[in-house]
Amino acid sequence: MAGIALAQLEAQAASTAPHFAPKAKHVILISLPGGISHVDTFDYKPELAKHHGRETQGANTIKPFFGKRGALMKSPWEFRRYGQSGKWVSDLLPHLARQADHLTFLHSMVSRSNAHGPAIFQMSTGFIFQGFPSVGSWISYGLGSDNENLPSFVVLPDPRGVPPCGVANWGNGFLPAAHQGVVFGGESNPIADLRPPPSVSAPVQAATYDLLTEINERHLMQNPGEDALVARIKAYELAAKMQLTAPEVTSIAGESEKTKELYGLNDPASRGFGYNCLLARRLIERGVRSVQLFNGGHFGSPRVNWDAHEDLVANHTKNARTFDRPAAGLIADLKQRGLLSETLVVVTTEFGRLPISEGLGEGGRDHNPEGFTSFLAGAGLKAGYWHGATDELGYKAAENPVTIYDFHATILHLLGIDHTRLTYYHNGLNRRLTDVHGHVIREILI
Amino acid sequence: MLGWISTISLLAAGAPAAPPDAVGRLLATQCAKCHGAGSAHLSDFDISSRDSLLKGGKHGPAIVPGDASGSRLYQWIVEGKMPPGEKLDAATTTAVGDWINAGAPWDGGKTTSNRQRWWAFEPPLKRTPPAIAGAANPIDAFLLAKLREKRLDFNPPADPRTLIRRLYFDLTGLPPKSEDYGQTYQQAVERLLQSRHYGERWARHWLDVVRFGETDGGEHNYERMNAWPYRDWVIESLNQDKPYDQFIREQIAGDVLNPEDPKTVAATGFLVAGPWDSVSAVLNKDETLRLQARMDELDDMVTTVGHSFLALTVNCARCHDHKFDPIPSRDYYRMTAFFSAVGFGEREVATGQQRKLRAEYLKPLRKEMDEARKRLADIEDPVRARLLITRYQEFDRQRAGEPRRIAVNPIWNRNQFSETRARCFRFVISSHGGKKAHLDFLELSPAGHRIENWTAEETATPDKPQTIEIRFQQPGAVSEIRFSSDLRRGSKDGAVSVYRLDASDDGQVWRTLCSSLDHVGNVEVELPTVSGEEIEAALTPEARTERSRMLAEIERLQRNMDEAPAVVTLYAAKPRELEKAYLLERGNVKRPVEEVSPGVLSALGGEPLPADSKDAGPRRLALANWIASSKNPLTARVVVNRVWYYHFGNGIVNTPSDFGVNGDRPSHPELLDWLAVAFIENGWSLKWLHRQIVSTLAYQQSAAIEEKAFAIDAGNRLVWRMPLKRMDAEMLRDSILDVSGNLNPEASGPSFLLQKKGSRGSYIYAALNNDGPEVWRRAVYRLVVRGGERIMMDSFDCPDPSVATPQRAISNTPVQALALMNNEFVIRQAGLFARRLEREAPRGRTEQIRLAYHLLYGRKPEAKEIERDAGFIAAQSLAAYARVLLNSNEFIYVP
Repeated sequence: MAGIALAQLEAQAASTAPHFAPKAKHVILISLPGGISHVDTFDYKPELAKHHGRETQGANTIKPFFGKRGALMKSPWEFRRYGQSGKWVSDLLPHLARQADHLTFLHSMVSRSNAHGPAIFQMSTGFIFQGFPSVGSWISYGLGSDNENLPSFVVLPDPRGVPPCGVANWGNGFLPAAHQGVVFGGESNPIADLRPPPSVSAPVQAATYDLLTEINERHLMQNPGEDALVARIKAYELAAKMQLTAPEVTSIAGESEKTKELYGLNDPASRGFGYNCLLARRLIERGVRSVQLFNGGHFGSPRVNWDAHEDLVANHTKNARTFDRPAAGLIADLKQRGLLSETLVVVTTEFGRLPISEGLGEGGRDHNPEGFTSFLAGAGLKAGYWHGATDELGYKAAENPVTIYDFHATILHLLGIDHTRLTYYHNGLNRRLTDVHGHVIREILI
Repeated sequence: MLGWISTISLLAAGAPAAPPDAVGRLLATQCAKCHGAGSAHLSDFDISSRDSLLKGGKHGPAIVPGDASGSRLYQWIVEGKMPPGEKLDAATTTAVGDWINAGAPWDGGKTTSNRQRWWAFEPPLKRTPPAIAGAANPIDAFLLAKLREKRLDFNPPADPRTLIRRLYFDLTGLPPKSEDYGQTYQQAVERLLQSRHYGERWARHWLDVVRFGETDGGEHNYERMNAWPYRDWVIESLNQDKPYDQFIREQIAGDVLNPEDPKTVAATGFLVAGPWDSVSAVLNKDETLRLQARMDELDDMVTTVGHSFLALTVNCARCHDHKFDPIPSRDYYRMTAFFSAVGFGEREVATGQQRKLRAEYLKPLRKEMDEARKRLADIEDPVRARLLITRYQEFDRQRAGEPRRIAVNPIWNRNQFSETRARCFRFVISSHGGKKAHLDFLELSPAGHRIENWTAEETATPDKPQTIEIRFQQPGAVSEIRFSSDLRRGSKDGAVSVYRLDASDDGQVWRTLCSSLDHVGNVEVELPTVSGEEIEAALTPEARTERSRMLAEIERLQRNMDEAPAVVTLYAAKPRELEKAYLLERGNVKRPVEEVSPGVLSALGGEPLPADSKDAGPRRLALANWIASSKNPLTARVVVNRVWYYHFGNGIVNTPSDFGVNGDRPSHPELLDWLAVAFIENGWSLKWLHRQIVSTLAYQQSAAIEEKAFAIDAGNRLVWRMPLKRMDAEMLRDSILDVSGNLNPEASGPSFLLQKKGSRGSYIYAALNNDGPEVWRRAVYRLVVRGGERIMMDSFDCPDPSVATPQRAISNTPVQALALMNNEFVIRQAGLFARRLEREAPRGRTEQIRLAYHLLYGRKPEAKEIERDAGFIAAQSLAAYARVLLNSNEFIYVP
């Protein structure tokens, strides 16, 4: 037990070997806060259309979060089959539909909560409570970084605002701060405090680093053997490099017009998220381990996420316009550059939406944690494949339910990590991302 | 390198013989459902101990130590028979096989019984310090005895200036002032223990342990603007050296001890200092999930009481008997029963007389306020409605190309559809504001039918809608409807929100022409609004005067109301109805096994409690007394170990909130006992404890790394040196402010803000870029936000208080370096620090450099340093120089 505190508390962001050969070296996590509807996107339910307008009864009564009972409501969008795989996708997401042969769908996701907060926490950290390390933090802790000049875990919030529950989505919890997600915001000054205020000129900044190094090295000589002092000197060297590297990553001046079009940068509606998708590719190209993107911001008015309580059509149409083309562009671009074979792309949401309307005669859908869809693409996965199913109306996961523990275990597995062995001691327990649960979803793996 | 791998091996090396994690988890989770304590023990099989596995159930023994393939437990797992319906992954299966083949080591004995004596559950004994020459202080004697076993010794004493600096940072979290170096060490000890900065520093440690936050966390993350009295209570209690047993009692049951004293009641802020999910607790319409949310609240309280005072992970017994410590699930649920009348939220603290006085004072003011507000509304509402009608119409025109109309609203609505000829039309209302739906008018065109001033007879619901039927003599042509519920005021009372228009030729078969579904949801596309200035501009001069008068009147009334005789409002344990407590199967709120009464941990076998007390208060007080007792083997040990940990950077037990089987073993068990017993004998006085610790040779030794000792004990568990400690986030911020001469000494009271909640329904706390004396107070007085936007302190491992932090991480990252280099706070304070140097050392650079070294490092610069630094200042500036020093290791690492 000796030395446990030092070993843990001073654990650094250095790369540690994976448990077995990884399929993917990087991961891009895309979250759609608010809860995108599965029955209006990828989970085609012809039965729902047949029973449109009927109320659910008896033991089959569907229980909404806000208690407003409605009738079964068919999707306002048509579904068509796409690609070799013949995947059914709705007209809401035509660009992603054309990537269907590269995607792997999980149609039987279940969450432990029907409220945004706990459900978002579970998706982002594995626990329904606040304060646990996020998926990206665990990955950083497990695998370290391939590029010391950039953070190992970068976060790109929706330009319309940070997601519900804010930084808890990418917090390091009880892991050392080295593993916290670092928010990149904006092209010119992407990281908070990356540059000094304008009052400090470049020569002053350079001289400052120089004198500081001199002072610290002299101090180290007088305190030989203190690893922490060495680590802090190193951190300043890296900081200086990051100051140069980060703006190079965030500038897309060198990208072709074709690429910009592919990511939807020419449409004002999708420009913001499109830039983030493009930036995600640029970050993983440079060795950043995980990038987490959000399509959707926090609650409030006007609404800027997928929480379509009152008006499904207006809400999902608006959001799909920001999301569809960039997300599809990212998959296509990774594919054409050969990056998809070493990258895992994960698209998820905290829960789906109910097949009934929220209130009779109304046009929204309430929360549904009992069954929803997430999809993945990239290394190690069967492409153009789907796993699990909800019942005929799209209410509950009926076939091969996938818990969020399973989902996380599978993400870690693809990165070469055994989810039962990635642990950190905190308050009496060796904590894991997957708590005491989780099974790798072998069926979707090559 | 190897961060987590080394952690695992270290844990394994020191841990007692126990099933490996994978096996422990398997038993605790899957197997325990049917074969664990509190379960049905199917097949007469119990998995909760090695003995019971050896004994097995009706199919025979489950394990044969040393022979996995001959063990039923392993066979059945391999064959997929168990757990039912589930094939275990290979890693777990292998772990089970390996464990059995290794002889199935499991020292813990039967986890549900008290048979095996665990060191922490034995009462601390009054140990005699070993006789060691030169060790006058018993603590030194205990430490030296162990060091000598390894042929080691303490480092030589640190130099007096280093010592003074160490002491100031440790006891107060602030650097010494120039003149402080003149006093003797003993003088400094006494002075600092009397300083109020002592309480401010050590309260911060305690607030970490008890996960104190001032927002709810989670989706709605509301502020707790009245949570600060708890923080003040902690500071004050420490400064008064309140006996620790009393410190415990007030936090668990202050409202019972002294219900009319706001300060004592504030102490129970402890119970509810953690996160609270108001959405799941209040808004959720799913009964099961609401019950679940309540159990989560109780769990948070039990967890925190267990961790903070007893260093026990009682919470592990929520779903099954504790796998390592002798805490059965039943004990856990009996613990929850103590808190079943405690809720989260604000409460008033007042005597009946105070309440009465306040109510009497406020009653007439409230009446006047209502009247004033009504008169203001009478002036404003019609003007607002008039302006809005135009704006809505304009907005509707702008959106002509959009497939959907503007949101349904009280003032002006229009819907269009392809022209329909019919004899009968009906307007069906299924939802509205207020009690009865109302329409100022409803118009069908081009047929030209208009209804005015219609009010429904009953409340409309989706099941029982209210309908207006319109019959034409001859079929009428309709392609548009317009309606308004309150044209003149825009009131929501009676305003139609869900409607449809149907048509029929015979009054029997109806078809829907249009409905509220054709309107966009209000939160998706916001309707135009009208500002106060616009209203004012649109008023007549008389009305404008009257409006100003009303606004002034409202302000005056508000001022008067603010001056009402105060009733203290606190965020503290909020009384709620006493609920029954149940033992739950596998923690499932839908599977209560039986009702349980409040009770303390059976393994600790404390004195019996008035367990069946009907009254919630005495129950909680009984628990408080049981914990705050000299007979409790854990309480004193746990707190002396925490204090030790903060002084030395290592605990005697290095898992300060876990003294269970999974925790660390004490490096010096006799010393821990001696400290615990002496602490109680000295009246549970924390200041006595500090005095003992800082008076030791151990505490006063230098930080140098002695090679021989390092080779034997790199982690310094034997305390052969005083480790170099990096300032934590608060200490760093406070110290920068202090040396720049700007630390605002204002103590206590409402918290200052570094992050602020967004407006318009947002729950996100944005980092403020505010500056000035109001935010130059000590960091312990800031509003501690859960999940707020990043501030500089976060990079320095300042924890989010969503979980307890008995030990902070210490990390070194480029992002942290960037923050301290470039954050505007640092740049500004560096500038102010430079000005201070110029002010206090006006004679020139050399003197300024000397002063800077004195303030920051507590030493004199060498000639070479002066030369080098003066060169830098000449080339750059004094402010740039100040910034370098604030970033230097010698400032941030305290030896």
